[in-house]
Formats: sequence, C-alpha cells, structure tokens
Amino acid sequence: MSDRGAVPDLTCDEVRELAGAFVLGALDPREEAAVRAHLASHPDGHDEIAELGGVLPVLAAGVPVVEPPDGLKARIMAAAAEDLATRSTSPAATAAPAQTPTSFPDSEAREARRSRTSTGSWLLRIAAVVAIVALGALNLLLQVQLNAAQSYEEGVAAVIDVAVQPGSLTAILTADGGSGSGLAAVSATGKVTLAMQALTPTTGDQVYEAWVIAGDSAPVPLGNFTVGRAGTAFFEGSGLPTTGSIVLALTLEPGPGATIPTMPIISKGVAKPAAG
Amino acid sequence: MDQPIQLRTASPSDDADRAVLVRLAEGELDALEELYDLYKTMAYSIAYRITNDATLAEDVVQEAFLGAWRNAARYVEGRGSVKTWLLAIVHHRAIDAVRRRRPTTELPDVEVPPPATLTLPDVWAEVSAVLDADTVQAALATLSEVQREAIELAYFSGLTQQEIAERTATPLGTVKSRMRLGLLAMRRHLEAGST
Repeated sequence: MSDRGAVPDLTCDEVRELAGAFVLGALDPREEAAVRAHLASHPDGHDEIAELGGVLPVLAAGVPVVEPPDGLKARIMAAAAEDLATRSTSPAATAAPAQTPTSFPDSEAREARRSRTSTGSWLLRIAAVVAIVALGALNLLLQVQLNAAQSYEEGVAAVIDVAVQPGSLTAILTADGGSGSGLAAVSATGKVTLAMQALTPTTGDQVYEAWVIAGDSAPVPLGNFTVGRAGTAFFEGSGLPTTGSIVLALTLEPGPGATIPTMPIISKGVAKPAAG
Repeated sequence: MDQPIQLRTASPSDDADRAVLVRLAEGELDALEELYDLYKTMAYSIAYRITNDATLAEDVVQEAFLGAWRNAARYVEGRGSVKTWLLAIVHHRAIDAVRRRRPTTELPDVEVPPPATLTLPDVWAEVSAVLDADTVQAALATLSEVQREAIELAYFSGLTQQEIAERTATPLGTVKSRMRLGLLAMRRHLEAGST
C-alpha cells in the first residue's frame, strides 16, 4: 500500500462517533484501518458496531426488486468452471487455492472478460479453458502427461460436439469416492459421450463401469472401459433416458459384466441442460 | 449501554444455506448454482440499486458469487447467516465498482478487508424474521430527511463521510451524527416491533 501516513490511534469515544460511518462503509481507507485496528485491540468494547450494522439488511430489503438478466447464471457458472478446471489441472492450485483478495476489475478488464464469456454456452467455455490449460502446460509435461493432456482434450472436444446440440444434457463429473473428473453430454437421442481424466489406471481384469441413475431407479450399467497410465478415458454409450433427473456415475469393477455397482462411486455428476 | 439484540435460533433455511456453503467450499458447481438460484434476485437488486447500471450490476453479481465460490471456506459460522455474508459481499463489490467509476475517489492499492458486516454477529437472522414490506417502510420512516440522505449517500452511493459533508454542505461532525443516530433510530424501531 502506498504511504498515506500512519494509521491514527483512536479513542473509544472516537470509534463510537465513527460507528455509523464505519458500518455504512463511509470511511476513507485510512480511517477504516484505524477503526479496525482499534476494534482488534478492544474486541469486547464496541457493541454499537454490531448494533448499528444490524440495521443494514433493512436498507437492503427496501430496494426495488429487479430480476437479473437471462444469461448471467451461465456466465457465472462458466467462470466457476474455469476456476475449477484450473484447480484440477494445477497440483499447486489444488493444494492451495488462490485466496488473495482481488479488487473489482476495471472497465477494460470487465469488457475483456465480457467478450470472452457473453457468447456461447458455459460448456464451450469449459472446453476452451481445459484446452488452454492443457496446451499451456505442454512444454512442462513429461511425455506420458502430454499424451494424457492431448487425449483428454480430444475427448472433451467430442463431448462438446454433443453438448451444443439442441436438447442435450451435460454433466460435470467430480471425484466422489476416488479420483477422476470429467465432462459428459447426453444427446437428445439418449447417447452419452464421456471424457475423464485423473483416473487410477486399471490393472488385471479391472474395468471402469459407467452407470446411469434415472430418478429413484436402480443404477443401470452403460458399458465399461479400461484406463492406462495416462489416467484418461473416452467412452460412448446409448439408451439413456433424456428427461427427468439423470445421474452419471463411475465405479471400478473387478471385471466386466457388473450388474450392481461396486462401491464406492469413483466419480459422478448430474446431467442437466447446459444453458440456464 | 443497551442490551444487545437477542439472536434467534438458526432456522432450517440457515442450516440449508450453510450446507450449501460447505459443498461450495468443496468445489461443487451444483452448490454454486443453488446459491445463485436462492439469492440472485436479492444480489442483483442491490447491485442495480447501487450502480444504477445494468451491465455493471451484472459484473458486480458475477464477482460476488465468484468471490463466494472461491472463499466459501472463509465463511465463519456464527458470525452471520450465509445471506448476510453474501449481502455484504455484493454491497462491498458494488461500492467498489461505483468508486472506481468516480476518478476523484481515493482508492486503496489493494482490496480493503471485508466490510464490517462480514465480521459482525448474525443480525440479519433476527431482523429478517420480521422483515416484510411494512416493517421495512416503517423502519425507514423513522429517519429524518437529512438522516435518510446521509445514510443513502453512504450505503447506496458509496460516498465517504467527507464526500457527503461536501456534497450536502454540512459539517463533517453533523454527517457522522446523522448516520449514527439514523441507524440507531431504525434499530430502536425494530427492537420495539419485535417485542
């Protein structure tokens, strides 16, 4: 922070005088820092801060109701998916998610972001991010990791091809009882396309079985696949319901032909329309 | 000093909100979707009221929900309901936005700590229990014109007390008093109504 002078010491009376402005956010940064410093050293001595702050929800409740525009939800979900994809691709990010507060972006940054996020479905955004993240890391990955990135990228692209078709459902599969995450799309004709990464390689006769759970119905097997050292997989199946709540799940089975899932579920996600 | 407001017991919706926040902290996108569906109207209404700009309000709401998504683990149970927490984030982001729109306003080099309401005890819960349109209007009606002006310029326009003093040609000390006494009057009214 630039040098704007030392934070002044305030007396309790001075803090009480500033309490209204403080809870309303009407102090300049230096004054606010001074109040915070005082409160930190007098944690039990200023109930008036909480008392006055308690009125703010009434001010908020008095504003005219305005519904947000369609499409805002998709923008938010796309940005969150971007964040999630970055976390899952970066071990460092996974271990220590970015916690540094950021200021509200300036108009140029917001316009740049808007141009990136205001068109297309958020799934397309996910695909772009996954691809960018994967491509950006190419020079650093070992060959097996390079193959995994390329394989997953190709799988995601195939999922997106299905996802953008009218009437398609999409699902983000996240690790549940094990490792593995990915994307899936269910076409209007009941065809599922699935791209997964970070799965534990299968050994021996082991297979990953894909399941569909429609509403309260029992899980129905869709088919199985094996996973190599890259940890990625691409799977296509058919015969899925296309209406109602659909959950897609993966289990690791000792061999092909499972009719009942072997717990735990490795990864799962709810299929739903992409736009919202 | 007056007795603090008696906090009511957390409602089932409070518990449900906290459960959503736990899932949010674990990176579940579905949880973010649920949170948005619950509070999108509240968030956008406040953002629009403060920015008076549909595009900027959208950006504020997006930044606020992404802030909640990235910092859900920072939410401290017992320091306020999820609704209070989210309301404070939206307000803070909106004020940040309008201040950046005003080139003459002094801005911090980095984002200031969360607003005071983020670190206050849960007060929304007990206030919201009696919040209907009549209650809100009655509470606002307790304000004198000058008190209302000072509070609205601060809370909805993002002006500092110094800026309010200059705009209204009022001594700074008077502005401080109007804000404090106005909020106090509203609080007294709500307390009387809840007993």
